[in-house]
Amino acid sequence: MADLEKDLHTEHMVINMGPSHPVTHGTVKFLVTLDGENIVDMKVDIGYLHRGFEKMCENGTWQQVIPYTDRLNYVSPLINNVGYALAVEKLIGIEVPERCQYLRVIASELSRISDHLTNVAAGGLELGAFTAFLYFVEARELVWDLIEMLCGARVTVNYVRIGGLKNDLPQGFQDKTRAVFKEVRRLWSDVDKLLTKNRVFIDRVRDVGDISAEEAIAYGFTGPCLRACGVPYDVRKAQPYLVYDRMDFEIPIGETGDNFDKYLVRMEEIQQSMKIVEQALSRLPDGPINLDLPQYRMQPKEDIYHRIDSLIFHFKTVIDGIKPPPGEVYLAVEGTNGELGFYLVSDGSGKPYKCRVRPPCFALTAAMPRLMKGRLIADIVPTFDMINMIGGECDR
Amino acid sequence: MSKMTGLEQSQYHPLVGVPMATLKPKQVRKNIHLTLWEKLYVFEILRGLFVTGKHFFINLVGFVLPPAGKKRKVFTVYYPEEKVTLPAAYRGRPVLVAGANGAEKCVACGLCEKMCPAKAISIVGGERAGGERYPVSYTLDMARCVYCGYCEEVCPKEAIVMSSEYQGLAQRDRAILRYSKDQLLRSEESVKGRLDYIRRIYSKCSY
Repeated sequence: MADLEKDLHTEHMVINMGPSHPVTHGTVKFLVTLDGENIVDMKVDIGYLHRGFEKMCENGTWQQVIPYTDRLNYVSPLINNVGYALAVEKLIGIEVPERCQYLRVIASELSRISDHLTNVAAGGLELGAFTAFLYFVEARELVWDLIEMLCGARVTVNYVRIGGLKNDLPQGFQDKTRAVFKEVRRLWSDVDKLLTKNRVFIDRVRDVGDISAEEAIAYGFTGPCLRACGVPYDVRKAQPYLVYDRMDFEIPIGETGDNFDKYLVRMEEIQQSMKIVEQALSRLPDGPINLDLPQYRMQPKEDIYHRIDSLIFHFKTVIDGIKPPPGEVYLAVEGTNGELGFYLVSDGSGKPYKCRVRPPCFALTAAMPRLMKGRLIADIVPTFDMINMIGGECDR
Repeated sequence: MSKMTGLEQSQYHPLVGVPMATLKPKQVRKNIHLTLWEKLYVFEILRGLFVTGKHFFINLVGFVLPPAGKKRKVFTVYYPEEKVTLPAAYRGRPVLVAGANGAEKCVACGLCEKMCPAKAISIVGGERAGGERYPVSYTLDMARCVYCGYCEEVCPKEAIVMSSEYQGLAQRDRAILRYSKDQLLRSEESVKGRLDYIRRIYSKCSY
């Protein structure tokens, strides 16, 4: 027997997956201990995309942080913008006008659609479904066209401001949204036909990466991965922010928390998000989008051009930064992967004393060894995709 | 809160603590059980081929019989020959605006330098003979610029705007991307559309 084991090399093998591997999307390394094809142990090495976001924030003014937040979850930058701006507004104690709130909801949901489209598309691609990837990337392209029309950029949007927004809805946005959503729904149903009842896809994702609701909560899961376990937790419903309490939408939940449930939850959320955007566009009230508070939101350009007092104040707010009162605040929004929280500390100066982000995918990535132990190495592919770890957000 | 007592308490979700009527959970997995027909797979392949074939033929017809005013009805754009139409909001490379006399409008106040989150702008200010301030040198490092548009937003003189130029920004040497004042200068007519746009979006009607 001993001779046999010697010839067969039955000892465990440690392999590195990543940091640059097609499965990892961004840059993350798995140290996988293998027994043949089975995973005995797994370690996740994160930090390859660490750019020092939190330290950078401390060196910039409160407004300058907004372009940095674009680079957190770079697939859904508008939600990060909204989350940060809401946290600063909570710190100051102001509330933006109603039209601005509706526009922020529209922007967030467009971002959510594009993120889920990307995630499902990449998940299909990694399991060999290249067609589904192409269809969803086409749909995402259309959604990004909408975002570009609204914000002026596709990914690095820099749209939300503290106390308002950069600009109002452009002309013809409603019509274009209707046309785009018609197309996205068509592509959605095509991908649904290609993937949802496809045996090859189901065999790869069903009963892989399953986790019970209690364990998921213990790990700190939020977002689609927790909802796939059957817990209908959504920050938009549990602690409604903006005007989400006025919107009529459902929370898709799964049963077992496996990858197939995560896929189905994401597919359904694309539909729900489109519903929210349509509702928000139909109920959009008239009125201002910015607060008339010069100490927090830049004044109108006419005043800056023609009035010396406005000009002086404008210089002061730009150079010193806006000055929220000293204090600390935590505010969470529903990011695409879960609860995206911003914890801000102000010491009364123009720069954040501390800007901490609670990335949703950090907790999800931490559960990877639990999800993968005893599984096959090929199961890493769909599981890690459905976890949807975004390097920019996880490593910051 | 008398509403929260008695039987109605059971209508709150035990883990989330929000009324079920508000939560509206929707079970998504209910119908996903494969029938024998789907398990056989051969017919599913045909169904999949039908979906992809539909896309193929739509694209094919779009090539042969394009809609009026278009070369072809295909989603992609044939880049160097064709270009996408950019929306009014599009933020391309920042450029300096020249005034009526051909010199830049910039007065070297340094607001854009201060606001730039990537610290891409560096200005050396000076004074003309008449006491008017102007930038002796205005360097914009395009290798650092993140196209956020803050320089345009804070400028009190409409002297820097985001143009719709996006080409020539991939170079083999970073020094080439360090644009000087002369390279950045554009006439006012060429950026008129953008000037109108920023006057509109940052105007009083938004407040």
